[in-house]
Amino acid sequence: MSALLAIRDSLMGERGLQRWAFYIPVVFMALFFAAPVALTLVWSVFERTMFWMEPGFTLAAYENFFTSARAENYVYSMIHSAVAVVVSFVIGFPIAVFVRRRVVKAAQHRVILLFILPFMISELVRVFAMRPVLGRNGLLNTGLMELGIISEPITIILFSPIGVVIGDVISFLPFMVFAGFLAMEAVQTYIFEVCDDIGVGRARTFRDIIVPLAAPGIFAGGVFIFVNSLGVALVPTILGGPGAVNAGLIVNQAIVALDFPLAMAISAIMLLTLVVLLYVGHRLFDLTKILQPIS
Amino acid sequence: MQDGFMNIWLYRLGWTYVLFIVFLLLAPVLYIVYISFNEYTFGARIYEFTTDWYTLILADKILVASLKWTGFLAVGVMATAVPMGLLAAKFYKSTRHKVAFVTLMLSPLFVPADIMGSALLIYFKNINHAVEAFGAFLGVTWFHGFLQLGFTTALIGQIIYTVPYAFIVILITMSRYRDQQTEAARGCGANAWQAFWQVEFPQIKVGVFSSLAFVTILSFNEATRTALLKGGFDTFPNVLVSQMLNIGMSGESYAMAGIMAVVSMVFIGSIIIITLIRARGIERKFQPKAEPNPIN
Repeated sequence: MSALLAIRDSLMGERGLQRWAFYIPVVFMALFFAAPVALTLVWSVFERTMFWMEPGFTLAAYENFFTSARAENYVYSMIHSAVAVVVSFVIGFPIAVFVRRRVVKAAQHRVILLFILPFMISELVRVFAMRPVLGRNGLLNTGLMELGIISEPITIILFSPIGVVIGDVISFLPFMVFAGFLAMEAVQTYIFEVCDDIGVGRARTFRDIIVPLAAPGIFAGGVFIFVNSLGVALVPTILGGPGAVNAGLIVNQAIVALDFPLAMAISAIMLLTLVVLLYVGHRLFDLTKILQPIS
Repeated sequence: MQDGFMNIWLYRLGWTYVLFIVFLLLAPVLYIVYISFNEYTFGARIYEFTTDWYTLILADKILVASLKWTGFLAVGVMATAVPMGLLAAKFYKSTRHKVAFVTLMLSPLFVPADIMGSALLIYFKNINHAVEAFGAFLGVTWFHGFLQLGFTTALIGQIIYTVPYAFIVILITMSRYRDQQTEAARGCGANAWQAFWQVEFPQIKVGVFSSLAFVTILSFNEATRTALLKGGFDTFPNVLVSQMLNIGMSGESYAMAGIMAVVSMVFIGSIIIITLIRARGIERKFQPKAEPNPIN
Protein backbone atom coordinates (compact mmCIF):
# COMPACT_ATOMS: atom_id res chain seq x y z
CA MET A 1 0.00 0.00 0.00
CA SER A 2 2.78 2.40 0.94
CA ALA A 3 4.55 1.53 -2.31
CA LEU A 4 1.41 2.47 -4.24
CA LEU A 5 1.18 5.75 -2.35
CA ALA A 6 4.83 6.46 -3.12
CA ILE A 7 4.20 5.85 -6.83
CA ARG A 8 1.10 8.08 -6.69
CA ASP A 9 3.10 10.81 -4.95
CA SER A 10 5.94 10.56 -7.42
CA LEU A 11 3.50 10.84 -10.35
CA MET A 12 1.01 13.35 -9.01
CA GLY A 13 2.82 15.22 -6.24
CA GLU A 14 4.18 18.73 -6.83
CA ARG A 15 7.60 17.51 -7.84
CA GLY A 16 6.16 14.55 -9.77
CA LEU A 17 3.94 16.72 -11.92
CA GLN A 18 6.75 19.13 -12.61
CA ARG A 19 9.07 16.32 -13.56
CA TRP A 20 6.56 14.79 -15.95
CA ALA A 21 5.78 18.13 -17.55
CA PHE A 22 9.43 18.48 -18.54
CA TYR A 23 9.20 15.23 -20.47
CA ILE A 24 6.43 16.52 -22.75
CA PRO A 25 8.83 17.90 -25.43
CA VAL A 26 10.89 14.68 -25.41
CA VAL A 27 7.81 12.50 -25.76
CA PHE A 28 6.31 14.74 -28.44
CA MET A 29 9.51 14.82 -30.49
CA ALA A 30 10.03 11.09 -30.08
CA LEU A 31 6.45 10.36 -31.20
CA PHE A 32 6.10 12.82 -34.06
CA PHE A 33 9.67 13.36 -35.22
CA ALA A 34 11.98 10.47 -34.34
CA ALA A 35 9.38 7.72 -34.94
CA PRO A 36 8.25 8.80 -38.44
CA VAL A 37 11.82 9.51 -39.49
CA ALA A 38 13.02 6.11 -38.28
CA LEU A 39 10.02 4.36 -39.83
CA THR A 40 10.86 5.68 -43.32
CA LEU A 41 13.37 2.83 -43.48
CA VAL A 42 10.64 0.27 -42.65
CA TRP A 43 8.08 1.73 -45.09
CA SER A 44 10.68 1.82 -47.84
CA VAL A 45 10.70 -2.00 -47.95
CA PHE A 46 6.90 -2.37 -47.89
CA GLU A 47 5.13 -3.61 -50.99
CA ARG A 48 3.40 -1.09 -53.20
CA THR A 49 -0.34 -1.54 -53.80
CA MET A 50 -2.61 0.40 -56.16
CA PHE A 51 -3.21 3.35 -53.81
CA TRP A 52 -1.21 2.56 -50.71
CA MET A 53 1.31 -0.06 -49.47
CA GLU A 54 1.24 -3.23 -47.40
CA PRO A 55 3.70 -4.79 -44.96
CA GLY A 56 6.30 -7.03 -46.52
CA PHE A 57 9.94 -7.03 -47.46
CA THR A 58 11.02 -5.97 -50.91
CA LEU A 59 13.85 -3.87 -52.23
CA ALA A 60 11.82 -2.94 -55.32
CA ALA A 61 11.72 0.75 -54.37
CA TYR A 62 15.52 0.89 -54.03
CA GLU A 63 15.92 -1.01 -57.29
CA ASN A 64 13.52 1.42 -58.93
CA PHE A 65 15.56 4.34 -57.60
CA PHE A 66 19.03 3.06 -58.48
CA THR A 67 18.16 1.77 -61.94
CA SER A 68 16.35 4.89 -63.12
CA ALA A 69 17.39 8.46 -63.91
CA ARG A 70 16.43 9.36 -60.33
CA ALA A 71 19.79 8.16 -58.95
CA GLU A 72 21.64 10.27 -61.51
CA ASN A 73 19.46 13.27 -60.66
CA TYR A 74 20.12 12.69 -56.97
CA VAL A 75 23.89 12.77 -57.59
CA TYR A 76 23.54 15.95 -59.69
CA SER A 77 21.51 17.61 -56.97
CA MET A 78 24.21 16.61 -54.44
CA ILE A 79 26.77 18.39 -56.63
CA HIS A 80 24.59 21.52 -56.85
CA SER A 81 24.08 21.43 -53.09
CA ALA A 82 27.83 21.12 -52.50
CA VAL A 83 28.38 24.15 -54.76
CA ALA A 84 25.75 26.09 -52.77
CA VAL A 85 27.61 25.22 -49.53
CA VAL A 86 30.94 26.43 -50.92
CA VAL A 87 29.43 29.68 -52.27
CA SER A 88 27.61 30.32 -48.97
CA PHE A 89 30.84 29.71 -47.05
CA VAL A 90 32.85 32.06 -49.28
CA ILE A 91 30.22 34.82 -48.97
CA GLY A 92 28.96 34.24 -45.42
CA PHE A 93 31.88 33.12 -43.28
CA PRO A 94 34.00 36.30 -43.76
CA ILE A 95 31.03 38.22 -42.28
CA ALA A 96 31.13 36.08 -39.15
CA VAL A 97 34.91 36.57 -38.89
CA PHE A 98 34.63 40.34 -39.42
CA VAL A 99 31.90 40.70 -36.78
CA ARG A 100 33.75 38.62 -34.17
CA ARG A 101 37.15 40.12 -34.93
CA ARG A 102 36.44 43.78 -35.64
CA VAL A 103 33.15 44.74 -34.03
CA VAL A 104 33.09 45.43 -30.27
CA LYS A 105 31.50 42.65 -28.23
CA ALA A 106 28.42 44.61 -27.16
CA ALA A 107 27.49 45.34 -30.79
CA GLN A 108 28.24 41.92 -32.30
CA HIS A 109 24.80 40.42 -31.69
CA ARG A 110 23.13 43.51 -33.14
CA VAL A 111 25.02 43.10 -36.42
CA ILE A 112 23.98 39.45 -36.58
CA LEU A 113 20.37 40.54 -35.96
CA LEU A 114 20.52 42.23 -39.38
CA PHE A 115 20.61 38.78 -40.97
CA ILE A 116 17.59 37.57 -38.99
CA LEU A 117 15.32 39.83 -41.04
CA PRO A 118 15.95 38.27 -44.47
CA PHE A 119 16.10 34.80 -42.88
CA MET A 120 12.63 35.17 -41.34
CA ILE A 121 10.97 36.31 -44.56
CA SER A 122 9.30 33.30 -46.12
CA GLU A 123 11.66 31.18 -48.17
CA LEU A 124 8.82 30.90 -50.67
CA VAL A 125 8.75 34.68 -51.11
CA ARG A 126 12.53 34.99 -51.28
CA VAL A 127 12.79 32.30 -53.94
CA PHE A 128 9.79 33.65 -55.84
CA ALA A 129 11.37 37.12 -55.72
CA MET A 130 14.38 35.85 -57.66
CA ARG A 131 12.27 35.35 -60.79
CA PRO A 132 11.69 39.05 -61.58
CA VAL A 133 15.30 39.73 -60.62
CA LEU A 134 17.05 37.02 -62.65
CA GLY A 135 14.61 36.68 -65.57
CA ARG A 136 15.30 37.67 -69.17
CA ASN A 137 13.58 41.03 -68.63
CA GLY A 138 14.47 41.05 -64.96
CA LEU A 139 16.05 43.70 -62.80
CA LEU A 140 19.59 42.33 -63.19
CA ASN A 141 19.57 41.99 -66.98
CA THR A 142 17.82 45.33 -67.51
CA GLY A 143 20.25 47.07 -65.15
CA LEU A 144 23.35 45.56 -66.78
CA MET A 145 22.06 46.35 -70.28
CA GLU A 146 21.25 49.93 -69.37
CA LEU A 147 24.74 50.32 -67.94
CA GLY A 148 26.12 48.95 -71.22
CA ILE A 149 27.90 46.06 -69.49
CA ILE A 150 26.07 43.42 -71.54
CA SER A 151 24.37 43.69 -74.92
CA GLU A 152 22.07 40.66 -74.58
CA PRO A 153 20.25 39.29 -71.52
CA ILE A 154 22.02 36.57 -69.57
CA THR A 155 19.66 33.61 -69.69
CA ILE A 156 21.72 31.03 -67.85
CA ILE A 157 20.92 32.44 -64.39
CA LEU A 158 17.26 31.40 -64.35
CA PHE A 159 15.60 28.05 -65.08
CA SER A 160 18.99 26.37 -64.97
CA PRO A 161 21.24 24.65 -62.38
CA ILE A 162 22.89 28.04 -61.79
CA GLY A 163 19.46 29.47 -60.93
CA VAL A 164 18.96 26.64 -58.42
CA VAL A 165 22.35 27.32 -56.78
CA ILE A 166 21.54 31.06 -56.60
CA GLY A 167 18.17 30.23 -55.01
CA ASP A 168 19.82 27.91 -52.47
CA VAL A 169 22.42 30.51 -51.55
CA ILE A 170 19.80 33.26 -51.16
CA SER A 171 17.66 30.92 -49.04
CA PHE A 172 20.29 29.55 -46.71
CA LEU A 173 23.18 32.04 -46.64
CA PRO A 174 22.07 33.64 -43.31
CA PHE A 175 22.47 30.24 -41.67
CA MET A 176 26.17 30.17 -42.61
CA VAL A 177 26.54 33.61 -40.99
CA PHE A 178 24.81 32.39 -37.78
CA ALA A 179 26.74 29.12 -37.64
CA GLY A 180 30.01 30.93 -38.44
CA PHE A 181 29.32 33.50 -35.75
CA LEU A 182 28.67 30.77 -33.18
CA ALA A 183 31.78 28.91 -34.38
CA MET A 184 33.97 32.00 -34.02
CA GLU A 185 33.19 31.95 -30.27
CA ALA A 186 35.92 29.28 -30.15
CA VAL A 187 38.52 31.65 -31.62
CA GLN A 188 39.58 33.95 -28.79
CA THR A 189 40.80 37.48 -29.56
CA TYR A 190 44.24 36.83 -28.10
CA ILE A 191 44.84 34.25 -30.83
CA PHE A 192 44.65 37.02 -33.43
CA GLU A 193 46.97 39.16 -31.32
CA VAL A 194 49.52 36.32 -31.14
CA CYS A 195 49.34 35.89 -34.93
CA ASP A 196 49.78 39.65 -35.40
CA ASP A 197 52.74 39.66 -33.00
CA ILE A 198 54.63 37.00 -34.91
CA GLY A 199 53.75 38.64 -38.23
CA VAL A 200 51.65 35.87 -39.77
CA GLY A 201 49.66 36.99 -42.83
CA ARG A 202 45.87 37.16 -42.93
CA ALA A 203 45.55 34.24 -45.38
CA ARG A 204 47.63 31.92 -43.21
CA THR A 205 45.84 33.00 -40.02
CA PHE A 206 42.55 32.21 -41.74
CA ARG A 207 43.66 28.86 -43.14
CA ASP A 208 45.73 27.52 -40.22
CA ILE A 209 44.06 29.10 -37.19
CA ILE A 210 40.50 30.30 -37.80
CA VAL A 211 39.19 27.48 -39.98
CA PRO A 212 40.46 24.59 -37.81
CA LEU A 213 39.16 26.20 -34.59
CA ALA A 214 35.80 27.16 -36.07
CA ALA A 215 35.46 23.87 -37.99
CA PRO A 216 32.56 22.37 -35.92
CA GLY A 217 30.35 25.42 -36.55
CA ILE A 218 31.35 25.72 -40.20
CA PHE A 219 30.60 22.04 -40.69
CA ALA A 220 27.18 22.30 -38.99
CA GLY A 221 26.28 25.30 -41.16
CA GLY A 222 27.52 23.47 -44.24
CA VAL A 223 25.47 20.34 -43.46
CA PHE A 224 22.34 22.44 -42.87
CA ILE A 225 22.72 24.13 -46.25
CA PHE A 226 23.65 20.88 -48.01
CA VAL A 227 20.68 18.83 -46.79
CA ASN A 228 18.19 21.64 -47.29
CA SER A 229 19.47 22.35 -50.81
CA LEU A 230 19.15 18.64 -51.47
CA GLY A 231 15.72 18.27 -49.92
CA VAL A 232 13.73 21.49 -50.36
CA ALA A 233 11.72 21.05 -53.55
CA LEU A 234 10.63 24.67 -53.76
CA VAL A 235 13.89 26.00 -55.22
CA PRO A 236 14.19 23.73 -58.29
CA THR A 237 10.41 23.97 -58.81
CA ILE A 238 10.46 27.77 -59.04
CA LEU A 239 13.98 28.52 -60.34
CA GLY A 240 15.15 25.30 -61.96
CA GLY A 241 12.93 25.10 -65.01
CA PRO A 242 11.97 21.87 -66.77
CA GLY A 243 14.03 18.87 -65.77
CA ALA A 244 15.47 20.44 -62.62
CA VAL A 245 15.10 18.12 -59.66
CA ASN A 246 16.46 17.42 -56.22
CA ALA A 247 15.75 14.72 -53.66
CA GLY A 248 12.78 16.61 -52.20
CA LEU A 249 11.18 17.02 -55.60
CA ILE A 250 11.69 13.33 -56.45
CA VAL A 251 9.94 12.43 -53.16
CA ASN A 252 7.06 14.78 -54.00
CA GLN A 253 6.72 13.27 -57.47
CA ALA A 254 6.66 9.76 -55.98
CA ILE A 255 3.91 10.79 -53.53
CA VAL A 256 1.84 12.33 -56.33
CA ALA A 257 2.27 9.04 -58.26
CA LEU A 258 1.08 7.22 -55.08
CA ASP A 259 4.38 5.29 -54.97
CA PHE A 260 4.81 5.61 -51.20
CA PRO A 261 7.58 2.98 -50.78
CA LEU A 262 9.66 4.81 -53.41
CA ALA A 263 9.10 8.16 -51.64
CA MET A 264 10.20 6.57 -48.38
CA ALA A 265 13.21 4.89 -50.01
CA ILE A 266 14.47 8.24 -51.30
CA SER A 267 13.78 9.83 -47.91
CA ALA A 268 15.71 7.02 -46.23
CA ILE A 269 18.67 7.49 -48.61
CA MET A 270 18.59 11.22 -47.93
CA LEU A 271 18.43 10.72 -44.15
CA LEU A 272 21.23 8.17 -44.35
CA THR A 273 23.31 10.76 -46.22
CA LEU A 274 22.61 13.21 -43.38
CA VAL A 275 23.49 10.71 -40.65
CA VAL A 276 26.74 9.73 -42.39
CA LEU A 277 27.69 13.40 -42.81
CA LEU A 278 26.97 14.19 -39.16
CA TYR A 279 28.82 11.09 -37.98
CA VAL A 280 31.91 11.90 -40.07
CA GLY A 281 31.71 15.55 -38.94
CA HIS A 282 31.44 14.52 -35.31
CA ARG A 283 34.41 12.16 -35.58
CA LEU A 284 36.50 14.81 -37.28
CA PHE A 285 35.51 17.97 -35.40
CA ASP A 286 33.54 16.96 -32.28
CA LEU A 287 30.29 18.77 -33.03
CA THR A 288 29.37 19.00 -29.32
CA LYS A 289 31.78 21.95 -29.15
CA ILE A 290 29.11 24.06 -30.88
CA LEU A 291 26.95 23.75 -27.76
CA GLN A 292 29.58 25.14 -25.40
CA PRO A 293 28.40 28.79 -25.61
CA ILE A 294 24.90 27.82 -24.46
CA SER A 295 25.84 25.09 -21.96
CA MET B 1 33.14 49.69 -32.84
CA GLN B 2 36.59 48.72 -34.06
CA ASP B 3 39.84 47.66 -32.50
CA GLY B 4 42.61 50.22 -32.45
CA PHE B 5 45.03 48.45 -34.76
CA MET B 6 43.04 48.07 -37.93
CA ASN B 7 43.30 50.10 -41.07
CA ILE B 8 40.24 52.35 -41.07
CA TRP B 9 39.61 51.72 -44.78
CA LEU B 10 39.66 47.95 -44.30
CA TYR B 11 37.23 48.42 -41.44
CA ARG B 12 34.90 50.51 -43.60
CA LEU B 13 35.24 47.97 -46.41
CA GLY B 14 34.17 45.25 -43.97
CA TRP B 15 31.06 47.19 -42.98
CA THR B 16 30.26 47.96 -46.62
CA TYR B 17 30.46 44.25 -47.40
CA VAL B 18 28.19 43.28 -44.49
CA LEU B 19 25.57 45.87 -45.45
CA PHE B 20 25.85 44.95 -49.14
CA ILE B 21 25.07 41.29 -48.39
CA VAL B 22 22.09 42.27 -46.20
CA PHE B 23 20.89 44.50 -49.06
CA LEU B 24 21.44 41.68 -51.57
CA LEU B 25 19.26 39.38 -49.49
CA LEU B 26 16.51 41.95 -49.01
CA ALA B 27 16.53 43.70 -52.40
CA PRO B 28 14.59 41.03 -54.37
CA VAL B 29 11.88 40.99 -51.70
CA LEU B 30 11.61 44.77 -51.71
CA TYR B 31 11.47 44.65 -55.51
CA ILE B 32 8.42 42.39 -55.54
CA VAL B 33 6.71 44.67 -53.01
CA TYR B 34 7.44 47.52 -55.44
CA ILE B 35 6.03 45.52 -58.39
CA SER B 36 2.93 44.62 -56.38
CA PHE B 37 1.93 48.30 -56.39
CA ASN B 38 2.24 48.62 -60.18
CA GLU B 39 -1.04 48.52 -62.08
CA TYR B 40 0.72 46.87 -65.05
CA THR B 41 2.72 44.43 -62.85
CA PHE B 42 6.12 43.05 -63.81
CA GLY B 43 7.75 43.76 -67.16
CA ALA B 44 5.71 46.84 -68.10
CA ARG B 45 7.54 49.97 -69.15
CA ILE B 46 5.02 52.17 -67.31
CA TYR B 47 4.76 52.30 -63.54
CA GLU B 48 1.43 53.45 -62.22
CA PHE B 49 0.87 53.18 -58.48
CA THR B 50 -2.17 51.17 -57.47
CA THR B 51 -3.47 49.23 -54.48
CA ASP B 52 -5.94 47.36 -56.70
CA TRP B 53 -4.09 44.04 -56.47
CA TYR B 54 -4.37 44.14 -52.69
CA THR B 55 -8.05 45.12 -52.88
CA LEU B 56 -8.57 42.17 -55.20
CA ILE B 57 -7.03 39.79 -52.65
CA LEU B 58 -9.18 41.10 -49.80
CA ALA B 59 -12.28 40.70 -51.96
CA ASP B 60 -11.40 37.10 -52.78
CA LYS B 61 -13.28 34.83 -50.37
CA ILE B 62 -10.90 31.88 -50.91
CA LEU B 63 -7.88 34.02 -50.10
CA VAL B 64 -9.51 35.55 -47.03
CA ALA B 65 -10.46 32.04 -45.84
CA SER B 66 -6.88 30.89 -46.42
CA LEU B 67 -5.64 33.86 -44.37
CA LYS B 68 -7.96 32.83 -41.54
CA TRP B 69 -6.66 29.24 -41.58
CA THR B 70 -3.09 30.57 -41.58
CA GLY B 71 -3.98 32.70 -38.55
CA PHE B 72 -5.61 29.77 -36.69
CA LEU B 73 -2.54 27.62 -37.31
CA ALA B 74 -0.20 30.40 -36.17
CA VAL B 75 -2.18 30.83 -32.92
CA GLY B 76 -2.21 27.07 -32.34
CA VAL B 77 1.53 26.81 -32.98
CA MET B 78 2.24 29.81 -30.74
CA ALA B 79 0.20 28.31 -27.91
CA THR B 80 1.99 24.95 -28.06
CA ALA B 81 5.48 25.39 -29.50
CA VAL B 82 6.60 28.17 -27.14
CA PRO B 83 5.59 26.45 -23.86
CA MET B 84 7.19 23.31 -25.27
CA GLY B 85 10.38 25.22 -26.12
CA LEU B 86 10.40 26.63 -22.59
CA LEU B 87 9.92 23.21 -21.01
CA ALA B 88 12.64 21.81 -23.27
CA ALA B 89 15.08 24.58 -22.31
CA LYS B 90 14.40 23.95 -18.60
CA PHE B 91 14.83 20.20 -19.15
CA TYR B 92 18.13 20.78 -20.98
CA LYS B 93 19.54 22.66 -17.98
CA SER B 94 18.80 19.77 -15.64
CA THR B 95 19.41 16.68 -17.75
CA ARG B 96 22.66 14.76 -17.74
CA HIS B 97 22.06 13.57 -21.31
CA LYS B 98 22.55 16.98 -22.89
CA VAL B 99 23.97 15.83 -26.22
CA ALA B 100 21.25 13.25 -26.88
CA PHE B 101 18.51 15.68 -25.84
CA VAL B 102 19.78 18.59 -27.90
CA THR B 103 20.25 16.29 -30.90
CA LEU B 104 16.60 15.25 -30.65
CA MET B 105 15.37 18.82 -30.26
CA LEU B 106 17.47 20.37 -33.05
CA SER B 107 17.39 17.52 -35.58
CA PRO B 108 14.20 18.79 -37.30
CA LEU B 109 16.29 21.74 -38.53
CA PHE B 110 18.38 19.31 -40.55
CA VAL B 111 15.52 17.36 -42.09
CA PRO B 112 14.19 19.12 -45.20
CA ALA B 113 10.53 20.11 -45.26
CA ASP B 114 9.53 17.73 -48.06
CA ILE B 115 11.16 14.72 -46.40
CA MET B 116 9.67 15.50 -42.97
CA GLY B 117 6.26 16.27 -44.45
CA SER B 118 6.17 13.02 -46.45
CA ALA B 119 7.27 10.92 -43.47
CA LEU B 120 4.59 12.51 -41.26
CA LEU B 121 1.95 12.10 -43.98
CA ILE B 122 2.56 8.36 -44.16
CA TYR B 123 2.89 8.11 -40.36
CA PHE B 124 -0.52 9.76 -39.80
CA LYS B 125 -2.19 7.71 -42.51
CA ASN B 126 -0.81 4.51 -40.96
CA ILE B 127 -1.96 5.51 -37.49
CA ASN B 128 -5.38 6.40 -38.91
CA HIS B 129 -5.66 3.03 -40.70
CA ALA B 130 -4.51 1.09 -37.65
CA VAL B 131 -6.81 2.89 -35.20
CA GLU B 132 -9.82 2.62 -37.52
CA ALA B 133 -9.14 -1.08 -38.01
CA PHE B 134 -8.97 -1.49 -34.24
CA GLY B 135 -12.28 0.40 -33.91
CA ALA B 136 -13.86 -1.86 -36.54
CA PHE B 137 -12.54 -4.91 -34.65
CA LEU B 138 -14.21 -3.63 -31.47
CA GLY B 139 -17.32 -2.73 -33.43
CA VAL B 140 -17.22 0.97 -32.40
CA THR B 141 -17.10 4.11 -34.53
CA TRP B 142 -15.36 6.38 -32.00
CA PHE B 143 -12.00 6.08 -33.74
CA HIS B 144 -13.30 7.06 -37.14
CA GLY B 145 -11.21 9.91 -38.54
CA PHE B 146 -8.57 9.69 -35.79
CA LEU B 147 -5.50 11.71 -36.96
CA GLN B 148 -7.00 12.03 -40.41
CA LEU B 149 -5.23 14.73 -42.42
CA GLY B 150 -6.58 18.11 -41.30
CA PHE B 151 -5.94 20.94 -38.89
CA THR B 152 -4.44 18.77 -36.12
CA THR B 153 -1.95 17.02 -38.38
CA ALA B 154 -0.91 20.33 -40.01
CA LEU B 155 -0.49 21.78 -36.52
CA ILE B 156 1.70 18.87 -35.40
CA GLY B 157 3.83 19.29 -38.54
CA GLN B 158 4.31 22.98 -37.81
CA ILE B 159 5.07 22.37 -34.11
CA ILE B 160 7.84 19.93 -35.07
CA TYR B 161 9.25 22.62 -37.37
CA THR B 162 9.04 25.54 -34.90
CA VAL B 163 9.93 23.96 -31.53
CA PRO B 164 13.69 23.88 -32.30
CA TYR B 165 13.65 27.66 -32.93
CA ALA B 166 11.67 28.38 -29.74
CA PHE B 167 13.98 26.04 -27.79
CA ILE B 168 17.20 27.63 -29.02
CA VAL B 169 16.02 31.25 -28.57
CA ILE B 170 14.83 30.59 -24.99
CA LEU B 171 17.92 28.53 -24.19
CA ILE B 172 20.23 31.37 -25.26
CA THR B 173 18.36 33.80 -22.96
CA MET B 174 18.31 31.23 -20.17
CA SER B 175 22.08 30.71 -20.39
CA ARG B 176 22.49 34.11 -18.64
CA TYR B 177 20.24 33.04 -15.74
CA ARG B 178 21.90 31.62 -12.63
CA ASP B 179 20.18 28.61 -11.04
CA GLN B 180 21.33 29.80 -7.60
CA GLN B 181 18.63 32.49 -7.86
CA THR B 182 15.95 29.80 -7.98
CA GLU B 183 17.59 28.00 -5.06
CA ALA B 184 17.65 31.26 -3.10
CA ALA B 185 13.95 31.87 -3.85
CA ARG B 186 13.09 28.30 -2.76
CA GLY B 187 15.20 28.82 0.37
CA CYS B 188 13.12 31.94 1.14
CA GLY B 189 9.95 29.86 1.10
CA ALA B 190 8.72 30.27 -2.50
CA ASN B 191 7.23 27.20 -4.18
CA ALA B 192 8.52 26.05 -7.56
CA TRP B 193 5.94 28.03 -9.52
CA GLN B 194 6.55 31.25 -7.56
CA ALA B 195 10.31 30.86 -7.98
CA PHE B 196 9.82 30.44 -11.71
CA TRP B 197 7.17 33.12 -12.27
CA GLN B 198 8.55 35.80 -9.96
CA VAL B 199 12.30 35.27 -10.24
CA GLU B 200 13.22 33.38 -13.39
CA PHE B 201 10.55 34.40 -15.89
CA PRO B 202 11.18 38.19 -15.65
CA GLN B 203 14.79 37.48 -16.65
CA ILE B 204 13.99 35.21 -19.58
CA LYS B 205 10.82 36.87 -20.83
CA VAL B 206 12.68 38.59 -23.67
CA GLY B 207 13.59 35.17 -25.04
CA VAL B 208 10.06 33.86 -24.54
CA PHE B 209 8.46 36.83 -26.32
CA SER B 210 11.04 36.72 -29.12
CA SER B 211 10.36 33.04 -29.62
CA LEU B 212 6.61 33.80 -29.72
CA ALA B 213 7.24 36.21 -32.58
CA PHE B 214 9.63 33.88 -34.43
CA VAL B 215 7.29 30.94 -34.11
CA THR B 216 4.32 32.98 -35.35
CA ILE B 217 6.21 34.16 -38.41
CA LEU B 218 7.62 30.71 -39.14
CA SER B 219 4.10 29.29 -38.99
CA PHE B 220 2.69 32.11 -41.11
CA ASN B 221 5.31 31.44 -43.79
CA GLU B 222 5.33 27.64 -43.76
CA ALA B 223 4.11 26.04 -46.99
CA THR B 224 5.64 22.62 -47.69
CA ARG B 225 4.83 20.59 -44.57
CA THR B 226 1.39 22.20 -44.38
CA ALA B 227 0.64 21.35 -48.02
CA LEU B 228 1.28 17.67 -47.31
CA LEU B 229 -0.54 17.51 -43.97
CA LYS B 230 -3.43 19.98 -44.17
CA GLY B 231 -6.14 17.80 -45.69
CA GLY B 232 -9.08 19.83 -46.94
CA PHE B 233 -8.24 23.47 -46.24
CA ASP B 234 -5.75 25.93 -47.72
CA THR B 235 -3.32 28.31 -46.07
CA PHE B 236 -2.17 31.58 -47.61
CA PRO B 237 1.30 30.31 -48.64
CA ASN B 238 -0.28 27.20 -50.17
CA VAL B 239 -2.60 29.32 -52.32
CA LEU B 240 0.40 31.42 -53.38
CA VAL B 241 2.35 28.30 -54.42
CA SER B 242 -0.56 26.96 -56.46
CA GLN B 243 -1.09 30.38 -58.07
CA MET B 244 2.59 30.60 -59.01
CA LEU B 245 2.64 27.12 -60.49
CA ASN B 246 -0.74 27.16 -62.20
CA ILE B 247 -1.42 30.77 -63.19
CA GLY B 248 2.11 32.18 -63.22
CA MET B 249 3.34 35.54 -61.98
CA SER B 250 0.16 37.59 -61.88
CA GLY B 251 -0.43 40.91 -60.13
CA GLU B 252 -2.32 39.01 -57.47
CA SER B 253 0.65 36.68 -56.84
CA TYR B 254 2.95 39.68 -56.37
CA ALA B 255 0.47 41.24 -53.94
CA MET B 256 0.21 37.98 -51.98
CA ALA B 257 4.00 37.70 -51.81
CA GLY B 258 4.04 41.38 -50.83
CA ILE B 259 1.66 40.75 -47.90
CA MET B 260 3.79 37.84 -46.67
CA ALA B 261 6.99 39.87 -46.96
CA VAL B 262 5.60 42.98 -45.26
CA VAL B 263 4.04 41.02 -42.38
CA SER B 264 7.38 39.28 -41.72
CA MET B 265 9.41 42.47 -42.03
CA VAL B 266 7.14 44.47 -39.72
CA PHE B 267 6.96 41.69 -37.15
CA ILE B 268 10.63 40.78 -37.07
CA GLY B 269 11.77 44.38 -37.68
CA SER B 270 9.85 45.52 -34.58
CA ILE B 271 11.45 42.80 -32.49
CA ILE B 272 14.91 43.75 -33.72
CA ILE B 273 14.25 47.41 -32.90
CA ILE B 274 12.84 46.59 -29.44
CA THR B 275 15.85 44.32 -28.77
CA LEU B 276 18.26 47.07 -29.81
CA ILE B 277 16.51 49.69 -27.66
CA ARG B 278 16.44 47.31 -24.69
CA ALA B 279 20.13 46.44 -25.11
CA ARG B 280 20.98 50.14 -25.21
CA GLY B 281 18.89 50.73 -22.05
CA ILE B 282 20.66 47.89 -20.21
CA GLU B 283 24.06 49.20 -21.32
CA ARG B 284 23.21 52.66 -19.98
CA LYS B 285 21.94 51.20 -16.71
CA PHE B 286 25.19 49.38 -16.09
CA GLN B 287 27.49 52.12 -17.32
CA PRO B 288 29.90 53.18 -14.56
CA LYS B 289 28.79 56.45 -13.04
CA ALA B 290 31.04 59.18 -11.67
CA GLU B 291 30.98 59.25 -7.89
CA PRO B 292 32.22 61.99 -5.49
CA ASN B 293 35.77 61.37 -4.32
CA PRO B 294 35.56 60.52 -0.59
CA ILE B 295 39.07 61.96 0.08
CA ASN B 296 37.95 65.44 -0.78
